[in-house]
Amino acid sequence: MIEFDEKQKRMVLKLVYYGPALSGKTTNLLTLHDMLTRDGRGELMLLDTTEDRTIYFDLLPFFYVAPSGMKIKLKVYTVPGQVRHDATRKAVLQRADGVVFVADSHTAGMAINFESFDNLEKNLSMVGLSFERLPLVVQFNKRDLTDIVSEEDIIRTWGPTGLPVIMASALKGWGVRETFRRVLELTFDSLQVRYDLTARYGVDRDDFLEAILRTAEDAEELALS
Amino acid sequence: MNRAHSHIDFVIGAEKRIAEIISPAEIEPLLRSLVMAGPLYAAVLDENNLPICEQGTTDLLHTAQEFRHGLLVEGEPKGALVVSFDPDQTGPQESLSLLARAALQLIITNNLKRMLTTEIHTTVVKDSYEQLLEINRSLAESEKCYRELSLSLEQKVEQRTAELQKAYARMLQQEKLAAVGSLAAGMAHEINNPNGFVRCNLSTFDRYFQRMKAMIDNYQHLVASETPLSQLQQETEKNRRELKIDLIMKNTPEMLSQSIEGTDRIARIVADLKSFSHVDDLGESAADLNEELKRTLAVLEPQIPADTAVLSELRPLPPFICHAGLISQAFFNILQNALQSRREGLQVHISSACSDDGIDIVITDNGCGIAPENLSRVFDPFFTTRDVGSGTGMGLTVARELIRCAGGTVQISSREGSGTSVTIQLPLASKGR
Repeated sequence: MIEFDEKQKRMVLKLVYYGPALSGKTTNLLTLHDMLTRDGRGELMLLDTTEDRTIYFDLLPFFYVAPSGMKIKLKVYTVPGQVRHDATRKAVLQRADGVVFVADSHTAGMAINFESFDNLEKNLSMVGLSFERLPLVVQFNKRDLTDIVSEEDIIRTWGPTGLPVIMASALKGWGVRETFRRVLELTFDSLQVRYDLTARYGVDRDDFLEAILRTAEDAEELALS
Repeated sequence: MNRAHSHIDFVIGAEKRIAEIISPAEIEPLLRSLVMAGPLYAAVLDENNLPICEQGTTDLLHTAQEFRHGLLVEGEPKGALVVSFDPDQTGPQESLSLLARAALQLIITNNLKRMLTTEIHTTVVKDSYEQLLEINRSLAESEKCYRELSLSLEQKVEQRTAELQKAYARMLQQEKLAAVGSLAAGMAHEINNPNGFVRCNLSTFDRYFQRMKAMIDNYQHLVASETPLSQLQQETEKNRRELKIDLIMKNTPEMLSQSIEGTDRIARIVADLKSFSHVDDLGESAADLNEELKRTLAVLEPQIPADTAVLSELRPLPPFICHAGLISQAFFNILQNALQSRREGLQVHISSACSDDGIDIVITDNGCGIAPENLSRVFDPFFTTRDVGSGTGMGLTVARELIRCAGGTVQISSREGSGTSVTIQLPLASKGR
């Protein structure tokens, strides 16, 4: 958690999209940005890139204000996937409340996925986060491509980790919101245990999720009704 | 926890106040230009509505037309731009204020991006620098380790060299023992032979002595019992025949002289061995190398095949200062090779000569010779073409070592199938070391 000001009733959370280079972390954020309603989110901030590859990070902020007046700001980050930017990854990972691991479904990408996952595990311990306790969702991206590992193989390999695994195509837009929902749920549940958000701060789980995950179309309908 | 990762000053994503993102100096020119374009007053306010920077006059604000636009940080309203116009004034007032807001928003967003990249950059640089320091320290440590190692290396080399020399000396000693062993086997036979017949003669002589004693005892008994002379003669004659005294008288001189010759032979062999091994003189002395060659040949006598022709052509040599025992060991090894080079029809030629350069000793045989591919390896330790167990491969190695210790050199020339010639050159001037 980046910040929690109990007097100001303000909480700033951090979610991080982690994963190997070119697995589609930024695309996930772009899709979320396009898909979700403007109310309750800020603009996507893309820091300078080299040849379209993230070298710093991207940031998409979300805002939620509970009926109780409790404000929750959610900052969603990507990390640079290239091996050489390990120090940046580590810096962005600091104080994360939840992580989405975006894996590449390409058959050739399996070893690189594992390598990056190992790197996540190592960096989490380096910045003092518990791999066991941190909300973590695995997304297998690029399911729209042909040369990909089968879903059965993925479940067989990743199932034993006990982590939620979600199939997605960030480019086509499916699975992205579902991934985001899953990590939000886990993150909320984890905060609930620690801070008792609902009872103490009047933050309702469903309302929180609905507000942040509301699509632009839903918002239009809501406005009309 | 690794030391290199324990201090990171920035938390990526830490909330920033608008006053941290824009400075008054930065936005002052913009507000000043804005006010020049019409408004009475323009100000940028922070989260608590306190002005970060303001321009124009506040005198007429109560009647002024005010435009207020929120300024966003990461999409969150964090401050505001306030622009006030004279209500009587006409013109694109709202557009002007929106334009100013857009410009301010751009400054804020770009500043924020710059700050974020700076934070990342600083964090990464610091992290990398600390890692570098860490690497540097471990490198320095390993360098120190290597330096120490290199210092002790010389000592270690000396130590290992001493060990090697010791091992080599042990090896030479073993080779010497092996030579002594093979020598002893031959010698044993040589000594056993005369010893055998001397022992046999002595046994025979013991029986002879018993019979002679019996003869004398009988005679004394007859005399003591005052036996009549004729009977005495008769009895004595009978006794003499029975005890075969004639045979004893006939055989004994030859038997004794044969035995004396035998023991002399043993004595000579022992003397040869003693002089060959120089057990009595441990230091250096002036030696006649011709004598050494002869003695060596003498102790090798048992190993010389029956029909061998050994031709010695030894010219007078000046005394050579050396450990005579070691030199004769070298001769032994070389001569033994020559004697083993052929079973039948062997001819060994031994020559010695002295020139101004020193002493040359050449030992030539008409034996099996050495294959060209082996010629360069004959001095290598443990190189042997003999069957396993029958040659140590150390003979010539040791010979060359011993000659070298005496300051000399050994050279071998050979033609496979027709013989080998070994030339030993020993310098006269130097006693060699």
